[in-house]
Amino acid sequence: MKRWGIVLLALVFVGGLSAAAWGDTLADVKAKGVLVVGIKDSAPPFGFIDQTTREIIGYDVDFCKAIAKKLGVKLEIKAVTSATRMPQLAAGNIDLIAATMTITAERAKQIDFSYTYFLTGQKFLTKKGTVNALVDLVGKKIGTAKGSTSEQNAAKALPTATILSFDDYPSAFLALQQGKVVAVTTDESMLAGLLGKAPNKEAFEIPDIRISDEPYGLGIRKGDKGLLDAVNATLLEMEKSGEAAKIFGKWFGPKTDTPLQRTFKIMAQ
Amino acid sequence: MQTGLDFSVIWNNMAHFMIGRYPSGPIGGLMLTLYLALIGLVLSFVGGLVLGLLCVSHNRFIRYPTLAVVNVIRGIPLLMVIFWMYFLLPALIGRPTPENWTIIMALTVFTSAYMSQIVQAGIEGIPRGQTEAALSTGLRPFQAMVHVILPQALRNMIPSFVNQFVSMIKDTSLAFIVGVSELTHVATQVNNRTMVYPTEIFIFIAAVYFIICFAFTTLSRWLEQRLAWRRAI
Amino acid sequence: MFNYKFDWAIITSGQYFDWLVSGVKVTLELSIVSVVLSFLLGLLIAVMRMSNVRPVRWFAHGYLEFFRNTPLLVQIFFWYFGSYKILPTAVNDWLNSTNFEFTAAVIALTIYTSAFIAEDIRSGVRSIPKEQMEAARSAGFSYLRSMQYIILPQAVRITIPPLINQFLNLAKNSSLAMTIGVAEITYQARQVESYTFKGFEAFTAATLVYLILSVAITALVTLYSKKMLNPMGAR
Repeated sequence: MKRWGIVLLALVFVGGLSAAAWGDTLADVKAKGVLVVGIKDSAPPFGFIDQTTREIIGYDVDFCKAIAKKLGVKLEIKAVTSATRMPQLAAGNIDLIAATMTITAERAKQIDFSYTYFLTGQKFLTKKGTVNALVDLVGKKIGTAKGSTSEQNAAKALPTATILSFDDYPSAFLALQQGKVVAVTTDESMLAGLLGKAPNKEAFEIPDIRISDEPYGLGIRKGDKGLLDAVNATLLEMEKSGEAAKIFGKWFGPKTDTPLQRTFKIMAQ
Repeated sequence: MQTGLDFSVIWNNMAHFMIGRYPSGPIGGLMLTLYLALIGLVLSFVGGLVLGLLCVSHNRFIRYPTLAVVNVIRGIPLLMVIFWMYFLLPALIGRPTPENWTIIMALTVFTSAYMSQIVQAGIEGIPRGQTEAALSTGLRPFQAMVHVILPQALRNMIPSFVNQFVSMIKDTSLAFIVGVSELTHVATQVNNRTMVYPTEIFIFIAAVYFIICFAFTTLSRWLEQRLAWRRAI
Repeated sequence: MFNYKFDWAIITSGQYFDWLVSGVKVTLELSIVSVVLSFLLGLLIAVMRMSNVRPVRWFAHGYLEFFRNTPLLVQIFFWYFGSYKILPTAVNDWLNSTNFEFTAAVIALTIYTSAFIAEDIRSGVRSIPKEQMEAARSAGFSYLRSMQYIILPQAVRITIPPLINQFLNLAKNSSLAMTIGVAEITYQARQVESYTFKGFEAFTAATLVYLILSVAITALVTLYSKKMLNPMGAR
């Protein structure tokens, strides 16, 4: 009897780790009238806190707003980090991840991804004039965030470097400012975001060293086809109507702190 | 960057430190810290009492397993308990668990184990003669415990409970790791946004924690002296 | 619903096993260095706390209250990120050239734990009868010498069980060093989780490590209190 109790407990335990535990999210979302999304609160300009209103705003937020509007429900934002976003989705605390998440084959085994809604590449942020090529970083300390692809790419590109993983990128940037690491590595768009918000940005630069492509997708629980289709349809519609490009321009246009070129279009994959 | 300290960053973000993103988001900051600690205190008081009573049970099939559980929990870091709750809780109750409850449950489980030791020591500190006297008046063992031993033991335990509450307030800072926006998390948010004031921000929140915890530590000492004085007469 | 596949092999051999082992090593290093330093610092603070010189006593009192009543996590952040602005540039440059994550964790753990240790030692000293100090002083020992040769050796012996408890707490608290990138066992378990999504296996491994550590330390205390505090087997 006792043994079966333990087996049952173990099974229940394990059930919590698996993704597809909560049924049809799209129907639930519509019934509740709320779409709960996990967005980073420390990753400008994708998701960050506005000082005066103390609301989370950014590129990821605007996409989620559009999706919630399309579904005809309210949007509720939960703050996540690179390390917490997938467990939060699996636990059912959020319905959708919109947290600068790169689409990878490994992750695609655990969750489903929408079409790419942002494309960037991984680079380095350094003190001006200290790093010109990848060789300059061999054996050095490099800061990044826990549970990110940036961490794994950096370990691959620079096997002898010491990779220091923090809970978020601004902490890594702070370590760079204080000379504790020689570079911060993550996606160019986020590095630009960090730099754009820094009070002393003239002291730093992003050298042209690209170690990977990083297509971002929205994360959905595995097998949650209804929500996935609705999200993908909305993304395509937003591309067609020009809304997607408009959101890009709002956060990455020439007049922003983080000017970037839009080198991609959202398309069916 | 070697400039003087500039505490204006604290005043500019005071609302963020105190109430988090409220009202445009959920309540956070110091208010959430106190909320987590208070709920955690009440629950772990109950949990500690139950575990403590089980630990002094005369039935060894109750006592040994309870002692084992208590010692396992005391043997691992709170951080580990939090990570386990993170995975375990949604599975056990079969539906999504808000992160606040992940933390509250982790704090409760962790602190209950410590509280149970206080309860155990408190009960064992009451002279055995009392139980015998109570039993000889015709009370059953359970009644003797509830009506005679516990009221006295609990009074003696109050200072230790207050100390546990202080630990609990300090422990809520670990909620930061799973992204619950209590005071420490909010401090890193502000730190992440302003970027060049880490010294000022961490000194400030250390001071906030200190003021609250020190007040309770002082209370606990005062209670201890009062109890000692009462026992002396 | 139950489609999670256990894969214990992933953590019992190969790359991820190596990560976990290196994590255990760092946890042990961090704990041992901090245990030694926090004991010495705790001893010093305890002596200062009992000093007859008022400013010294007040300083020690303030130290005790402040570091006991603020969260360790905040102290870790303070030493790692916050100390930068108040230290001279040369010191910062030197610290950064070392393995500063580790150093900051050691500093934070040492200072935090020393405050608790000092209190334990002080109550140990209080339990030594006053007459001993008076006798030592009248025999011509100075205050510090009486402490060193007469009072402290006895006090430390009585204090050993609570001290070992503090060391156990320290070992568990060292898990917080992961927040500043020290690759100890909790950090490595989390790394394994984020690379493989095998959180259950990784956290089980880390939990076992802590349990073994705790059981070992607790066994030491039990043995000690049986052998040393009760040499005649009384009670």
